[in-house]
Amino acid sequence: MIRRRRATFHRLTRLSVVRMAVPLLVLGLGGGCTNNPYPDADETAKVLYVAFSSPPKTLDPQVSYTVIDHAVTGNVFDTLLEYAYLERPYRLIPALAAAVPQAQPRADGRVAYRFTLRADALYQRDACFGIDGSGRTTRPVAAADIAFSLARIADPLVGSPVVDTFERLHGFKEFSQRLLAARNADAAFAALRPDQQYARVGGIDGVRVLDAQTVEVELDAPYPQILYWFAMPFTAPMAWEAVATYDGRNGRDNLADHPVGAGPFRLARYDRLSRIVLARNDDWYGIRHPEWQAPGAVYPSTGEPGDAADGLLAAAGRPLPFLERIEFRRDPEQVPAFIKFMQGYYDTAPILRESFDRLVHAGALAPEQVARGMELEKTITAGVYYLGFNMDDATVGGAAGEPGRALRQAMSLAVDADEFLRLFANGRGLAAQSPLPPGIFGYDPSYRNPWRVADPAAAAARLVDAGYPGGIDPKTGKPLRLTFDVYDTSARGLLQFQFFVEAWKRIGLDVQVAASDYNRFQEKVRSGAYQVFLWGWVADYPDPENFLFLLYGPMSRTASGGPNTANFADPRYDALFLRMRAMENGPERLALIDEMQRILEREAPWIPVYYPEDYALQFGWLANVKTPSLSLPYYKYLDLAPAPRAARRAEWNHPIRWPAVALLAALVAAGGIASRRRRAGEVAS
Amino acid sequence: MLAYLARRVAWSLATLFGVMLLLFALFFLVATPDDVARKALGDKAMPEAIAQWKANHGYDKPRVWNAAAPLDTMLVDHLRRLLTFDFGRSDADDTPIIDRLRAGLGPSLSLTVPLFLLGVLASIGLALTAAYLQGSWFDRSTLIACVLLMSVSLLLYIVAGQYVLGKVLRWFPISGFDPTPAVIARFLALPVLIGLAANTGQDTLFYRTLFLDERSREYVRTAYAKGCSPAQVMRRHVLRNTLIPILTDLVIEIPFLFTGAIVLESFFGIPGLGAMTVEAMQGNDFATLRVMVFIGSLLFIAGQLMTDIAYTLADPRVRLE
Repeated sequence: MIRRRRATFHRLTRLSVVRMAVPLLVLGLGGGCTNNPYPDADETAKVLYVAFSSPPKTLDPQVSYTVIDHAVTGNVFDTLLEYAYLERPYRLIPALAAAVPQAQPRADGRVAYRFTLRADALYQRDACFGIDGSGRTTRPVAAADIAFSLARIADPLVGSPVVDTFERLHGFKEFSQRLLAARNADAAFAALRPDQQYARVGGIDGVRVLDAQTVEVELDAPYPQILYWFAMPFTAPMAWEAVATYDGRNGRDNLADHPVGAGPFRLARYDRLSRIVLARNDDWYGIRHPEWQAPGAVYPSTGEPGDAADGLLAAAGRPLPFLERIEFRRDPEQVPAFIKFMQGYYDTAPILRESFDRLVHAGALAPEQVARGMELEKTITAGVYYLGFNMDDATVGGAAGEPGRALRQAMSLAVDADEFLRLFANGRGLAAQSPLPPGIFGYDPSYRNPWRVADPAAAAARLVDAGYPGGIDPKTGKPLRLTFDVYDTSARGLLQFQFFVEAWKRIGLDVQVAASDYNRFQEKVRSGAYQVFLWGWVADYPDPENFLFLLYGPMSRTASGGPNTANFADPRYDALFLRMRAMENGPERLALIDEMQRILEREAPWIPVYYPEDYALQFGWLANVKTPSLSLPYYKYLDLAPAPRAARRAEWNHPIRWPAVALLAALVAAGGIASRRRRAGEVAS
Repeated sequence: MLAYLARRVAWSLATLFGVMLLLFALFFLVATPDDVARKALGDKAMPEAIAQWKANHGYDKPRVWNAAAPLDTMLVDHLRRLLTFDFGRSDADDTPIIDRLRAGLGPSLSLTVPLFLLGVLASIGLALTAAYLQGSWFDRSTLIACVLLMSVSLLLYIVAGQYVLGKVLRWFPISGFDPTPAVIARFLALPVLIGLAANTGQDTLFYRTLFLDERSREYVRTAYAKGCSPAQVMRRHVLRNTLIPILTDLVIEIPFLFTGAIVLESFFGIPGLGAMTVEAMQGNDFATLRVMVFIGSLLFIAGQLMTDIAYTLADPRVRLE
């Protein structure tokens, strides 16, 4: 009996150990034993690996708006114009267009721009081009495709977020209304293909296709900034065949998931929640016609001073693109993505807040990271974060007159932006003096806003002028109470808001944080039920108009739902804005911008807090990186060296196997000990 | 047994109908179709676009009652769609929901099936050994280890697992997913190990208790007295007689293998149905959420039914009447 029990015990113990060991062995050693997330075959390929956290919403270029949307659409859809990669301030260069068009003023006050497209620029190969039964797989990009894209922006059913901008096109609104009316009146019309519907209602009057390669767009009034919009995916040529084919019906793909562009890359794989792959598009005009030496198809030979020293001109004149593939891998959490970057599995990454102090010392990379071949790329974003006042408010707004102005100026003097950046952004950012950030025409690095100096004593003095000595409201005899409306209810967000509250408390004001979710906050702003708020803006295009319009009176948020969240209205400012908006960059425009900034300085509807600064990390095997301060496609300029990358990855990721062996040994030993003890017990009994 | 099953199916259908009504109330009466359309199209969407979007999704009909055509309501549509598995399109991006389910099922099963099978093997094996060696050093260690494993949050396992096994020891990719057969095991290894660590403790303790309870019964002593070997006793008698509660525990889990592991999929970037559910929550995709809740209920009810049937297979004495 004893012998039998012992045998059983041994069997059970063995079984248990084996059962535990098998998964460990299979998973720990056999199934993996490498942390390399990529197939070995890709080691020698020029494949760029980038992480993304949230999946794209749509890849329809006329609709897509998020950063990850544009990371795909910006590289798959070529635009008529683009920005010179290395130059700052930004300069437009031709891409699919043969030249950057000049404004052609018309007698009736309208302005036209005529785009001539490159002949023989093809779309990527796609089955949709055989929709007519011709069996073809591609075709040249035509001027009519630009008209089609603009008509799609006007089509209410497409839901483009940039309708407001393109309403400046002559006949844009009317086209939209005719289209809706025809759809409502006639079900047969509504069942036609979108391109047929647009043709039936006559297209947009201000968009004229002059021949296969030429399209003219006419604006009701001068708006030079329109050209920037032709460097964005919204206006990229769209093939009607793609829209007609990928309607999501009867098993066909959705257009939002199936982009068909004429850019340097094509979408090769789209697993929205895990992996997006862009592969080099061999039908791109730059690859098919290197002899054209088109500005958007060769690496630039001019840039900013210092670019040559940084090695950014080494590839000058070489045909683009350099990469074979771009792999976007989804990492919903920041920490795993950053660890993978540190292991060499992502080629570039934003710096992780938690790792900042370990990696960056006094604004420069730590020496041990430099020794690993890491590089730090700093870019001031074309954006601004600001504290705004609701200028419709009786206490802090314009109606309060001089006391209100003095109160706003006092509150501005109380806020120390440098300290805020030090505490909450690891010093990444630049204290803002005005709405215009660096890199934007009109930004003056020597300009100092007198109310943007952190000076509590001056703030207290200004409060006396405002009629609130020591912050006391004479009506109540208590500290003046204000509401600080915020839309971030996270602990970190509230801590940031508390920084400002404490600053104002030091000059005697009682500012209460009213936190709500974003929708509720938006409702408050729409209804005008707010006093002080924190908001940010990142530019769509590099023009001062794209910042100064945030304070243009007719665009007041409460009155018109516009972007002027402070509801600031100043007739002089508004008149200057209209003049400035219609001008090309030059001394006259600069003078107007200065005058507008003086008005903002005096009226202080905003406390400009900071211009955010991006710290991006990359390894030395990645070349030609100059991160734009705008959300622009630039992957076609990047190059990388796979061999040193593979060597570094192997060096950094050699698995440490001994703990697995030790664990197995411990399990076996545990089984043995238990067995011996049991045996001893049984013998004793 | 057939009569019992018919009754159970009838009750299940009634429960399912209740779930569908509850879903309708939650998703169509609390949030109006206009709210949903604005979430999908943005604040600036023109009224015409909102009207068209609502028409495309069938949200333009009267919600509960339509005097002119009583069957042409959102409620009837809602019930018909769910019952016929014609789930319609996502509120967020218009993708057919059935396509998303198909795409997510593979990644989910590739994670949950090995996790389930290895979990069963590990916990039953450990529990059986511990029960046999009751009071031994091995048993006490197993008890302590299981309590420790149970006491730690899954999130901590994930963070610690990624750090130790992915970063320090470099055994596995720290996150991500690639369904290519050559590399899929690399990506699943870490989440499966972490899932095992998080689940095994509780299951092992539960099964150990069952085995101990069974071992103390008279018939076990009789079996020994009649000359059965301990292995035969444990395998043929103890294990078999504890199968009913074990099956209850396991069979009920099987349907949920199909709905994915929400936390693991989300943290590891595995594009399964669990991650899809989280994505639907974050993206206000009510249509997808409705479907996932419905499928979850359906699978739960199916699991209950399967458990009852499994009883009769495991124990011939059980009669469903």
